Amino acid sequence: MARVQWQLRNDRPVIQVMLALAPGGQKVTRTVLADTGAGAANDPFEFVLDEIDCLLCGGTPLKTVTLGGAFTGVHPIYAIPIEIPALNFSDNVLVVGVAAPPTGFDGIACFRFLNRFTYGNFGDKNAFGLET
Amino acid sequence: MAKSIAQLNRELGEQVLDEARRQPNAYTGKYVGIANGKVVVVTDDLNDLLKRLKHVEPDPSKTYCVELGRDYSKVYEIWEVV
Repeated sequence: MARVQWQLRNDRPVIQVMLALAPGGQKVTRTVLADTGAGAANDPFEFVLDEIDCLLCGGTPLKTVTLGGAFTGVHPIYAIPIEIPALNFSDNVLVVGVAAPPTGFDGIACFRFLNRFTYGNFGDKNAFGLET
Repeated sequence: MAKSIAQLNRELGEQVLDEARRQPNAYTGKYVGIANGKVVVVTDDLNDLLKRLKHVEPDPSKTYCVELGRDYSKVYEIWEVV
């Protein structure tokens, strides 16, 4: 069992993930809003990220998806590798690419991704964490 | 004017989805990988799809994927952060 926690950002829960930029594989960290209200367990995506990040990671394109709400319109989906080293997590995930992620964050970790883990504040009201 | 590889891939993806809609139970949950205007892999595992697709065509801009059985007409709501 492993657990990692991150301090809230702007009083909101976040997680940090690592992306591997193509072609060299240089790792970059992205801080994304942890939003259990974003999407559903079986939606065709697990993250919302800047489309530029998806392309820089050499993302494989999938058919587009239509979003409502904050990102109204048709958006591409990419499959890209994402890591959370503290959890020994490394997998390909489906990401919606948008032109402008939410202000103050690099994107959104949606419910389908968070639901892979046990998640919550684990007793620290100033933090959010994931546990395997 | 000649179609781009990306356009050919998207059109083939739509054809594959149309075919799958006629037999929804046969293909639901499978991913279809397309490269350079041809179907090159069908699998139910995303990691397997990407690995095999990359083996055939290393340039992701020349590839395309669809997930069969997925309702692509649905609108997925993401609420605004205020």
